[in-house]
Amino acid sequence: MRNAMKVAKWEIKKNLKNKSYLIGLFITPIIILVFGIIGSLIGESAEEEALVNVMIQDELGVYEAIEEMAEVHDLGWTINRTDLSEDEAKKEIKDTEETAYLFINQKALDNGAIPVYMSEDLDEQFTMQLQAIEPPIKALQMESIGLSEEQLTKVASPIVFAEQSVSDKDDEKDKGENQAEKDPLERIIPGVFAGIILFSIVIAGMYIFQSASQEKKDKIAEIILSSITPNELMQGKIIGYFVLGILQAVVLLAFAVPMALWKTDIPVLEYIFVPETLILVLIAVLGYLLFAALFVGIGATMADVSTTGNFQGLVMMLPFLPFMFATPVFMDPTGIVAKVGTYFPFTTPGVLLMRLIAMEEWPWMEIGIAFVVLIVSILIMMKLAGKIFKVGILMYGKNATPKEIWKWLWA
Amino acid sequence: MENVLSIQGLEKSFKDKQVLKGISFEVKKGEIMAILGPNGAGKSTTIRNIMGIMYPDEGKVIFHNHTDIPRHKIGYLPEERGLYKNVKVMDMLLYLADLKDYPKEKAKERIMYYLDKFDLNGKENTNLEELSKGMNQKVQFISSILHEPELLILDEPFSGLDPVSQDVFKDEIRNLANKGTAILLSSHQMNLVEEICDRLFMMQEGQKIIYGSLDEVKTEYANFKCTIRGKNKLDDLKAISEVQRVEQSEDVSVLYLEKDVVPIQWFKTLPDHLNIHELTMDRISLHEIFVDIASGKINQEAGELHA
Repeated sequence: MRNAMKVAKWEIKKNLKNKSYLIGLFITPIIILVFGIIGSLIGESAEEEALVNVMIQDELGVYEAIEEMAEVHDLGWTINRTDLSEDEAKKEIKDTEETAYLFINQKALDNGAIPVYMSEDLDEQFTMQLQAIEPPIKALQMESIGLSEEQLTKVASPIVFAEQSVSDKDDEKDKGENQAEKDPLERIIPGVFAGIILFSIVIAGMYIFQSASQEKKDKIAEIILSSITPNELMQGKIIGYFVLGILQAVVLLAFAVPMALWKTDIPVLEYIFVPETLILVLIAVLGYLLFAALFVGIGATMADVSTTGNFQGLVMMLPFLPFMFATPVFMDPTGIVAKVGTYFPFTTPGVLLMRLIAMEEWPWMEIGIAFVVLIVSILIMMKLAGKIFKVGILMYGKNATPKEIWKWLWA
Repeated sequence: MENVLSIQGLEKSFKDKQVLKGISFEVKKGEIMAILGPNGAGKSTTIRNIMGIMYPDEGKVIFHNHTDIPRHKIGYLPEERGLYKNVKVMDMLLYLADLKDYPKEKAKERIMYYLDKFDLNGKENTNLEELSKGMNQKVQFISSILHEPELLILDEPFSGLDPVSQDVFKDEIRNLANKGTAILLSSHQMNLVEEICDRLFMMQEGQKIIYGSLDEVKTEYANFKCTIRGKNKLDDLKAISEVQRVEQSEDVSVLYLEKDVVPIQWFKTLPDHLNIHELTMDRISLHEIFVDIASGKINQEAGELHA
């Protein structure tokens, strides 16, 4: 273990002194930052353009109420009164853009249909927005048919389906659920946090691959192995690149967290420091160990990264497998795809993270099984990687075929 | 002299092919022991088994009466060797010394000493990829002796070196041996080995051919040969007493003499009518012995010479 730490220290030092690593370390967050800024610039200008002129001919005195609703729902309308008749408005609208005329009068109220004239460029989105101003008009309609104030409130308030708890811990559970309903961010932010860590260290895992292969290319492996065992070298690399991955995550978060605080009003830090984060981060770390073992083993079979065979290329794609599951998992976090993904070791970390983000109530049983699957796979993978590494690292000048690798596993 | 390393009955197979067929030898304190043999004889495999990079199927590797080998007491220069490219000379050497548990300050001192000795002064902060191939090999050599090993194993140390560097390496290897380091080196360049080794182990196809001290091997196998320049009939030369065989090409004839020839007496037996422009008499080189054995001109069942 002491030797493994020496190797780890060396790998960290070597990379930190390497210019291309340092550039890589900062380039990802900078790209994110740049896109964030550009994105927000585009977003803002788009909002400005989207201002719609809404002209209202109000005979019933709901103008103020409509104005208020528009403000509450942040519809981005400029509302004005108009005296034009419907016919005049029809003519007027042909030459204007981003304009709509609404005629709210007794006749419309009786019919239950308010005539709206829109310029051609307005789309469905505006029609949807119109729904937001429906309540005050509806209230007016109710009033006009003579309902009392009390009746009005009843009619106006929608019927909800209140779920009743069947367990004994009624109160506590209710509270918990209410909170969860209130705040999906409470799950999403720790999830994203863990996701960033998983991403960073899996990327670092790919560096391991390069490092193991470089060892062969530089022909230094045998000199190193005259001092320490292959297992120590392998462990050292895994630990070293883990630290480098965490470093990458820290740098990423150092950009991402202030950005989030600046761009949104979400108290990100409060959400991150919750016990759930620990579990999510643990999933990420286990995910790293699995892929690190895989990469260090495969790296040792390759003399030259540029001549990657199909087999090795396929293995390199494994960490991205969970992305294939993303849509079905988010659509149905308890569905069959999500469950299969949870128990297939190479997708466990990614899929489990996605599910835990999407689900309000965590399936502790499944999480437990997934952890067992993951840990057992890591142990097996480390063992296999050790065998491949031991033989592969000394095989200079050529890539190993899957057949050869298979033989080493049973040697 | 005490044995530092003894190898006993080493056997190793790859797939169906047996690469080592019961190899046994010793390396003693302060001596240079050479493993010789053509490519594919099993030299590197023997060495890798000693280093614990491979494990033998049969047989033992014993270091000072222990079977577990203390890696930090052994220096190793593999045949296929290199160093990280993107790293400074000093950092690289300190890392390798650290892996051998050698104290850092002492390592620094020795690094400077050896860089100076090998004409690399001022290069300690240079990136390894900026060094020439020869310089790189010197740094590799330093890495193998930096931690003052008791046993130094050099696999083809002279391959790829220019003659000047070869001499530098040869001198330093001799120097280390004189200070008490046990040295095991492998090579197929017989002439270089002949100049520095004390004892040798010659192998072919995973088997011992000759094992003994250089002097013994030479007296046993390195018979005299007489080279004559001048036109002579092959039959005339063959008729001379104590001549084993004759090789003739154009005007030069080489007469391989029998083992116990006494040169002065033999000269007296030369016939008067021989046409001689030049005549030299010397012993067969290790190189020729090896070629002769490999091609079956000398009996392979030569057996062991007791050193």
